[in-house]
Amino acid sequence: MKIVFYLHLHQPWRLARFRYLDLGSGKPYFDVDRNLEIFRRISENCYRPTLDRLAALLRKDPGFRVSLSITGTFLEQAALAAPDVIERLQGIVETGRVALLSETYYHSLAFLLPPPELEEEVDLHQRRLEELFHVRPRVLRMTELVYDDDLARFAAREGFSGMLAEGWEGPLRGRSPNHVYSSVARGVSVLLRNYRMSDDVGFRFSARGWTEYPLTAEKYARWLSRSPGDVLGLFLDFETFGEHHPASTGILDFLSALPHAVAAEPNLEWATVEDAVRVPPAGPIVVPEPMSWADENRDLGAWLGNDMQRSAFDAARKAGTFARSAHDPEIMSDWRKLLTSDHFYYMYVSGKGADADVHRYFSSYSNPYDAYANYMNALNDLRRRSLARTRPSR
Amino acid sequence: MPPSGAAAGAHPLRRLTVLMAGWEFPPFHTGGLGVHCFEISCELARLGHRVIFLTPFPGPFVEAPGVEFRTLGERLPPGTQIPGAYTPAEIYGPRFLDVVNQYNEWIADLADTEGADIVHVHDWFGTVGCRDLARRLRIPMVMTVHSTELDRTLGHPFAPILERERIGVRSADRVIAVSRHLGDQLIALYDAPPGRVRVVYNAVHPVTPELDEDRTRDVVLYLGRLTRMKGPDTFLRAAAVVAPEFPEIRFAVAGEGPEYEYLVGLAAQLGIGDRVLFFGKVTDEERTALLRDAAVFVLPSVVEPFGIAALEAMAAGVPTIVSKTSGVGEVVPSAFQVDFWDVDEFASRIAELLEYPHLNREMGDQGRSEATFATWAERARQTVEVYREAIRSRSIKR
Repeated sequence: MKIVFYLHLHQPWRLARFRYLDLGSGKPYFDVDRNLEIFRRISENCYRPTLDRLAALLRKDPGFRVSLSITGTFLEQAALAAPDVIERLQGIVETGRVALLSETYYHSLAFLLPPPELEEEVDLHQRRLEELFHVRPRVLRMTELVYDDDLARFAAREGFSGMLAEGWEGPLRGRSPNHVYSSVARGVSVLLRNYRMSDDVGFRFSARGWTEYPLTAEKYARWLSRSPGDVLGLFLDFETFGEHHPASTGILDFLSALPHAVAAEPNLEWATVEDAVRVPPAGPIVVPEPMSWADENRDLGAWLGNDMQRSAFDAARKAGTFARSAHDPEIMSDWRKLLTSDHFYYMYVSGKGADADVHRYFSSYSNPYDAYANYMNALNDLRRRSLARTRPSR
Repeated sequence: MPPSGAAAGAHPLRRLTVLMAGWEFPPFHTGGLGVHCFEISCELARLGHRVIFLTPFPGPFVEAPGVEFRTLGERLPPGTQIPGAYTPAEIYGPRFLDVVNQYNEWIADLADTEGADIVHVHDWFGTVGCRDLARRLRIPMVMTVHSTELDRTLGHPFAPILERERIGVRSADRVIAVSRHLGDQLIALYDAPPGRVRVVYNAVHPVTPELDEDRTRDVVLYLGRLTRMKGPDTFLRAAAVVAPEFPEIRFAVAGEGPEYEYLVGLAAQLGIGDRVLFFGKVTDEERTALLRDAAVFVLPSVVEPFGIAALEAMAAGVPTIVSKTSGVGEVVPSAFQVDFWDVDEFASRIAELLEYPHLNREMGDQGRSEATFATWAERARQTVEVYREAIRSRSIKR
């Protein structure tokens, strides 16, 4: 059994309070100081210690493999707030046992926008990875692990040999997620996230009420070893280690102990996403509708579930036409920062239950109305700026 | 004395007899206090408790099934003016306190109190009499604070009123505050023992949603007394910022109070004299009509222990902006909250709600469900819980 240990690194450019009265004032949309402050805090709790642990594990255990996706906005903030985090990333990528993945530079829902946005964002991201890490990924992941057949076709056109997706029951039709599947697009394999095993670490690790608490590396490796199949995807948010679960929960020690525990199980070996896509597919998988890794429904509801979210995304799409015709790189970059999916996530109107708690935890606003009003103001301002640039001067 | 707490779950709880001193009761009311007294009394009666309401007003009162009234009014010389709870004290001066003193003496000596379990006083009016009555009957006293003299006067209290508030807070076995914000203030400024302070919020009745979806809502509404504490000038200043951008919108100020003339002048001075309508005191029907036309409701209070008007607006589906100092914000997370002094932020929030229809609709819907989430019946049940706690605390002491 190959274990694919994949971690996702992302930070959005959060908006400053941009009042309706700020329209046309030239005030910047993004609160750079606050974003960098958050980045520094998370670097302290999570990025540095976890990357150091990963580096140590790679040194100690020649069989250990990791895969990472790092958004463009993350890299921008890291360069400003904590350049050493980029150096640490470069250090582990140089080992040759860490694979990087391609995605949209801005962690956007660009796949819902008219061409060429998706292609351009993936290219932009790829160029940045080449500059910093000198690698060209062969596997693509879409924002929030969104996957469908059209995206597989896109991946094929762009020359990727694999994509990531949620190992959700619907498209599996009773089959195990612990295999590689072939997409509808020739040459593109699909690697699935085993969400139960992943969530044991991502969500349940520090839950004292959980019957399996406390989770040890040995117990977890035993579960992995007894799982049926040939490829098992542990796909997690990087911040699982030290941020969502603080170091005091023992999560970092769990991580440090995991490779040793896995080595003790003879049927287990680590694999990067690039190793895994070479495993022959167990069968085809068909996903006509977009499927994500978020919320109970695994659809796009977390970002486009209510009228405010849909109208905001629609307004962003329309603003794109203006932004593009302004031919101004600053306007273009502001527009794309506004495409980051997190902005729409903040506009989600929580009901009750587990999803609501998750949404509240990740929101940077006191309520979704605040998020929406602020976003719409910034977008309105961007449209005005674009129009001012486009309008022929007399 | 019935067995305390432990038996509560097993047996139907004994019905309580409450001697409630609330000063005003509709239609003789000038603010949230009277509304609260009416709703809580009716719900307590509906829950099967006996409520004897002690008021200086002679009646007749609005129909309140099951509520018994004892009035001082019959004992007052004919023609005595009884001021409403929110009438500024200086207007009445010493004669106001005369009525208050008579009210308290009457309560202290109240006859026919057989079977009374609890004395419940609202605000400062009857605190001295209630304290003495509770002592005489050897039953606990609960005090509900709706607002404080320090707040109402923006820090320039009238000493006799402040003293009566302190007496109430000090003597009560349990103090109910209508918001956490107010409760904290009672602890900090009135030395209320934190262990005795409880919060019971106000509530509103659900309003049937307007079926006519296409109706134009083109009013930005202020509804409240016109006093400095309520910040109506902030409303006008924000309106002046927004008005030029939204020429089709009207701004309405409903309510009466000492700031009226100043505000009319201010509107003219701000250049929006023709855009602001001053309605004066409105009837229930007029208020309903205003809320039906309102696109935005604004409660810009400098000081607002609760702010029931905001809850009423939200129950009617009107998206609402409240100052951060308003207690109502604690129960309606979807309302926009703004620093009371931040005119530009009030203006921006108003503009956003006028500019973005999806925001207006979704916030209105969410606000409706938040505002009507807890009913007066629920608030009455919480009040009974506090009564029972007060009674238990006495039986433990003995």
